[in-house]
Amino acid sequence: MLLTEARGKALLREARIPVPQSFEASSREELAVRPIAYPVAAKAQVSAGGRGKSGGVLKCEDLAQLDNAFCMIMSTEFGGERPKSILVESWLDIDRELYLAVIVDGRVGGMTVLYSPRGGVDIEQGPAPTAYAFGLPRNFQGHRFRRILEAVEPDAKIREKVVGLARRLLQVAVDNECLTVEVNPLVVRKDGSLVAADAKVVLDEAAAFRRSRTAEAIATEREAADEDIRRCSDGNLMLVWLEGRVGLVSGGAGMTMAAMDAIDAAGSSPACFLDVSGNPTPAGFDLAFDLLDRAPGVQGILVSMFGGGLHTDRVARTLVDVLARRTSGKPVALRLAGTSSDKATEILRDAGYANHTSLERAVADIVSRTEIAA
Amino acid sequence: MSILLHEDARVVIVGITGKFGAFSARDLAASGTRVVAGVAPGGDGRVVEGVPVFGRVADALRETGANAALVYVPATVALDAVVETIEAGCPLVAYPGDGLPVLDAMEMRAAALAHGSDLVGPNSPGLISPGKAKLGFMPSFCFSPGPLGVISRSGSLSYEACHRLTAAGLGQTSVLGIGGDPVRGIDAATAVTLFHHDPDTRVLVYLGEIGGTEEYALADYARRADAKPVVALLVGRTAPAGKKMGHAAALIGSHAETWAAKVEALTAAGVHVARSLEDLPPLAAVALARASSSEF
Repeated sequence: MLLTEARGKALLREARIPVPQSFEASSREELAVRPIAYPVAAKAQVSAGGRGKSGGVLKCEDLAQLDNAFCMIMSTEFGGERPKSILVESWLDIDRELYLAVIVDGRVGGMTVLYSPRGGVDIEQGPAPTAYAFGLPRNFQGHRFRRILEAVEPDAKIREKVVGLARRLLQVAVDNECLTVEVNPLVVRKDGSLVAADAKVVLDEAAAFRRSRTAEAIATEREAADEDIRRCSDGNLMLVWLEGRVGLVSGGAGMTMAAMDAIDAAGSSPACFLDVSGNPTPAGFDLAFDLLDRAPGVQGILVSMFGGGLHTDRVARTLVDVLARRTSGKPVALRLAGTSSDKATEILRDAGYANHTSLERAVADIVSRTEIAA
Repeated sequence: MSILLHEDARVVIVGITGKFGAFSARDLAASGTRVVAGVAPGGDGRVVEGVPVFGRVADALRETGANAALVYVPATVALDAVVETIEAGCPLVAYPGDGLPVLDAMEMRAAALAHGSDLVGPNSPGLISPGKAKLGFMPSFCFSPGPLGVISRSGSLSYEACHRLTAAGLGQTSVLGIGGDPVRGIDAATAVTLFHHDPDTRVLVYLGEIGGTEEYALADYARRADAKPVVALLVGRTAPAGKKMGHAAALIGSHAETWAAKVEALTAAGVHVARSLEDLPPLAAVALARASSSEF
């Protein structure tokens, strides 16, 4: 999970990586009481990228400007997300902006350090960062990274600082079990010192069983998540809302994406990624239908399950019960294939529902019926 | 032939006393796979589903001649169980579990490489060589013997895709799940090499998705002058950037990880990219016909 900049920087500070003087504020009252030298940067604490280009970072010369900036930022949505706090940070005298990151890299079955002498907001548009792929964390060698840096960073003093910082970022990544620790920009100040002006830290959620901080971060995010997402994670369903018309209930990540693509190819659009394979029970399907029936953008629902270990006749019985309890009139198309699907078809037919023989037919059916509904 | 898992497979299930391990012993036996041993610490002398249980993997291998391991233990203890199995000398190890910390995945992979073991997983249904043996939890009825070598990042997609291929008369030498996590044992690059050297595999079928960079290894292979024909299906064309779509690695973080960039790279490398699941069997059939005509 992605930490906010403020939380990410706290991890860097623990590893004694230089970060600007700062405080986090979630109310106007806090702005006046926390001591800081002006000018400052007021920075929206959101996970969406590109906030600097959309008014999420504002320079303030005094408390009055900071107060204004706070109100503006807190009432703005960045990538659909409203900030819960801002980070107030000393304004930096910037000489250069660099890019430095430690990432998990599947290609080397381990980790890679990335460096660019041209960091900042346009990093994606510039040449790709230089990579030092070392695999296991213990295989990081400063002298190897230095050799790689020599080709792209002419300033020997900066190279040495970057080598030292890279090792500390790696330590942050290992100690906290992170998938990404990215500093962009890594600012070279006028006096030649380096400071991490931003931090993108992604924790490995799978490590929560042995990292209390990760467990706490997951719990905090869960509390802040919207109710649908929270109910799904409690019910062992995997939900991502999209913006389309057809509510999709499917099984398995790959097949759920395949069904999303099929809905799009048939001229409509998926309203969600909703994988119920973690809980294909009455409770799981009840929750799925409740969410989709109440979502105003969803005009129809497609249930597509392929039974491997799952017995689709059981799913059919569950669906008959769930559909009987339902009060919504949104159209529904069903497609249960694989293990015991003949029995599933019979059970559905006896209850007055059709079981489509293929994903494509089920998609065509629900797409045509949601067009009429629209 | 098949890759990695053949008729002579003798399987040990590590974690056989757990619910999943015991189920797997029955399921593998029903599919015709020989399950010769189980392992559970402190479980020496027990018998589960007719299979003798040993306390240590090394004892199980020595006493039963097991040559392939399926490890069903929770993610919290998986690194220890997998490394024990690798160090005991088991040449093929599958760890299907999900939710494994990526640092542990790195260590598993490194241990496998250091000892010359082949590791399948994490977060994968495993490996099946239809008609010969199965080392995983995929539903056997989806598969049949034949000339396609299948590599998949997604379990559910591989079941449905292979079910359709099988229905179209297109069987498989082996179907390998490389898993949905960012760090894995056998990756796409290794998998294509294995299928390349298998004489019975005439066409490679790759089932991929958004996120990560595995598909570029496939493109590198397809560009080789001696490459076998490659057919691919990538899902997630309609997935938004920055959102994890179920699998840990199915997340678009950069342009190279998008559906469009990968399809472009694969197409440019000569891979036949299916537009949909429906499109996959006919495309594989055409590739197979071409492969057969070029062999004579």
